[in-house]
Amino acid sequence: MALKERPKPFLLPDYCKGCGRCLDACAKDCITLSDQINPMTGLVPVELDLTNCNACGMCMDACPEPYGLRPAHEGEIQDFELEDPAKLFGVKPCDAPEPTDIPNEFLPLPRTEPLVIKGTYASAVGAILAGCRHVYGYPITPSTEGAELMAKFLPKLDGTFIQAVSEVAAVNMMYGTAGAGLPTMTFTSSPGFSLMLEGVSYMIGAELPGVFVDVMRGGPGLGNIAPEQSDIKLACHGLGHGNTHAITLAPSTPQEMLDLTILAFELSFKYRNPVILLGDGYLGQMTGKVQLPETMIKPGIPKWAVYGDAMHRKNLISSIFLTESDLEAHNHHLNAKYEAMKVEARAESFLCDDAEVVLIACNTPARTAKGAVQDLRNQGVKAGLFRPITLWPFPVEELKAAIQGAERIVVVEASAGQLEDEVRLALSKAGVRQFPELESVRRMGGVLPQQSEIMTRVLGRKEVIA
Amino acid sequence: MSKTSVIYDKFERHSHGQGLKGHATHYCPGCGHGLAHKFLAEAIDALGIQDRTVAISPVGCSVFLYYYFDVGNSQAAHGRAPVVALGHKFANPESVVISYQGDGDLASIGLAETVATAQLGAPITVIFINNAIYGMTGGQMAPTTLMGQSSSTSPSGRNEYNGQPMKMAEMIAGLDGPVYVERVALFDAKQRIKAKKAIQKALKLQVEGRGYSFIEVLAECPTHLKMSPEETEKWVKECMEPVYPLGVKKDLTVEPWFHRNAPCFKGEKILSLTGATTEHPERFCKGFPTALDPSDVSLKLAGSGGDGAQTAAMLIARAAISEGFDATHIPSYGPESRGGTSYADVHVAETEVLNPGSPDPQILLAFNAPSLAKFGPTVRKGGYVIYDSSVVTEAPVLDPSIKVFPVPFTGIATDLGKAVVKNIVALGALQAATNIFPKETFLGAIRVALKDKCALIPLNEEAFAWGIKSVEALDQ
Repeated sequence: MALKERPKPFLLPDYCKGCGRCLDACAKDCITLSDQINPMTGLVPVELDLTNCNACGMCMDACPEPYGLRPAHEGEIQDFELEDPAKLFGVKPCDAPEPTDIPNEFLPLPRTEPLVIKGTYASAVGAILAGCRHVYGYPITPSTEGAELMAKFLPKLDGTFIQAVSEVAAVNMMYGTAGAGLPTMTFTSSPGFSLMLEGVSYMIGAELPGVFVDVMRGGPGLGNIAPEQSDIKLACHGLGHGNTHAITLAPSTPQEMLDLTILAFELSFKYRNPVILLGDGYLGQMTGKVQLPETMIKPGIPKWAVYGDAMHRKNLISSIFLTESDLEAHNHHLNAKYEAMKVEARAESFLCDDAEVVLIACNTPARTAKGAVQDLRNQGVKAGLFRPITLWPFPVEELKAAIQGAERIVVVEASAGQLEDEVRLALSKAGVRQFPELESVRRMGGVLPQQSEIMTRVLGRKEVIA
Repeated sequence: MSKTSVIYDKFERHSHGQGLKGHATHYCPGCGHGLAHKFLAEAIDALGIQDRTVAISPVGCSVFLYYYFDVGNSQAAHGRAPVVALGHKFANPESVVISYQGDGDLASIGLAETVATAQLGAPITVIFINNAIYGMTGGQMAPTTLMGQSSSTSPSGRNEYNGQPMKMAEMIAGLDGPVYVERVALFDAKQRIKAKKAIQKALKLQVEGRGYSFIEVLAECPTHLKMSPEETEKWVKECMEPVYPLGVKKDLTVEPWFHRNAPCFKGEKILSLTGATTEHPERFCKGFPTALDPSDVSLKLAGSGGDGAQTAAMLIARAAISEGFDATHIPSYGPESRGGTSYADVHVAETEVLNPGSPDPQILLAFNAPSLAKFGPTVRKGGYVIYDSSVVTEAPVLDPSIKVFPVPFTGIATDLGKAVVKNIVALGALQAATNIFPKETFLGAIRVALKDKCALIPLNEEAFAWGIKSVEALDQ
């Protein structure tokens, strides 16, 4: 009795690939391979002769194609071969609702006394105040304290900290949570950051926000765990494969570790792009005075997210654009975003207005350089410090203003010239051809430039390239 | 079988839905993916979870899963689908997350993610399509390629130098994390019914919050096995099944356990976790200790791990900040976890610490002889050296302008019954020798640091007082 109520199959030959999986499934031998090639598909479809069909449905179960063998319900058009597929199968790609943004809420905080905490902790607290409750990471010195603090705090806030099997897994957990539209971050250090770059490229391609705190250490290879500004080139010009850029922030105090982490979340959602916060091993470990902000964020859900609910069902997170023209268009779109990010360029110019000698430095070396500027001023040398706070985009307009009256420019860095390369590239792209020869104070291998070395360079005009 | 509502009416994402691509998959004739897709779609439909479902597409032929499934879609990097799935699951614990992966993705490049995610045990559902070959890249050896099976990268057949096929269902079932592991096939009607049931059960376990489930599907790849679809079905049955036996590999009865509260955004709670307070600390300083430096005092504390140099440094920084000054503390350690060198650079500045390093400190607190020998000569002229005379028997000769204070930190602390308070003795000595801040400032910082261990406050106060007394005795 039940059998009679079941529908028999029908098939639009254009949607049959002729695999023949239905042939064996039919106990009544109703199905045979045609002897004609379908001109639309170039394939040989099956043919149905439903004379003996008992509507067992096994053929439909065996058909791999969603629009292959289908049940012909009573009343459904039987001359289906002549019908428009839109009428047969429907036209709406998806009946899910059009998603809308659920905005962030800004909640007031009382004014508190400054905390006395180390840089990685300050960054972790900043992330929590920015609304981040999902942190994924892999232990790596000298960034681990950030993850440790998150592992302690987040369960108390019903958040999630997962120690991933590797940095590769960590960045892809971020991809998932970011894809769901929520703020997420990791703490890592140079070798770990290298390992995450595949995921960073995917996040940029799929336009996902996320904050990477990279507490840079000595390299290459395993290098050591002492501070080096070793990843400026990676963050500014090497974020994995493809046309990738991300705003790169370079804090120089524990206070900035907090402030710039909060800013990083804001920018990463504003542009739907990862943001990199480059610290150095000293800054990560350095304890200092940290004033908390007077608002915190409860994040909403952006309209593009795949949150896993009805509102966001029609969304897709993906970095694939199989058609060349689509991928080119996507790259134009990314380029337009990168161009728009230029307004985020930030810098500090310290005593540069009348400076004859301008030091350029970021992170902890910028503090050393600031000490040197003070010392040089005490000795009657008109020195100043230009400190890029964003390394990408490089604050070239601010740099141009800072070096306007400079007779000498000294780049102070704990790397083999990665910051200097950014300075040169920025000036070159801005069309600045005339500027004093760049002098260097460089240390590597986990050694930071010393104030005395900067003094020697400026006063003694001696090369300090250890 | 009937198309379910979970499959899009039209495949707009498949070449913009043009021509036949609007309703035909990109899979080759006879490919097992199409069936696995249908069974998965039916299961989602049957459980009524379409709106909550997030499907993670892998890299491989099923990279375009999102062309077809009318659910939330996220496309992952090669091998990373299970951890992307975790990211989605923890972001929204109510979502139902499916990691759909092929053999190269799951059993080769993503093996670490696969195993770690299975062992983590969070309720996600992994659908593993094992067809013993790489499809999308064009017929290369897969981790699941059979011994003797030829592929473009094992042209004379997989041999012992290529290693053995990976039996993922057995491996995953051997872990403690998963609750349900089954291997199914698609080669005949009976197996297809079992496959459908297994997929539906795996999803149901997730919906109920019972745990992680893993369904391995032996699937056909006629194109790269270079056989007809019919021959491929036969090959899977006769050649694959003996190596990859079908059936339930693990099926635990577990009560629902995955319950996650919504994250907390209460300001008071966050502030209390960070230790932030709205209470203003009492201030005792009349001004910056300009007798030491007009604006920025540089200190170095040096000893071995366990001497408490870092704690003392932290207390100095806290004391300074409680007085409204700026301060920094940079620790540095030897590579040893215990007992190595332990140095701290501390700066106290009236408004802003410019350079936080202390290569030439004004004040040195040395806890042992090597530290004194190393840093004593770096102390600036007119500076202060305070060292533990209990352990340093012979002090190095320093610039005569430097004021030297030998204080038996260890001896005093031991007499007090707790050798660990020697750093507090040292702080007392520092206070008396340099008058960097008033005593009350230090005592305030010590009390704040010990607020959770109040019983230790009197001992520390005593240690601090003894440090002061020792310096005063030296002065006399």
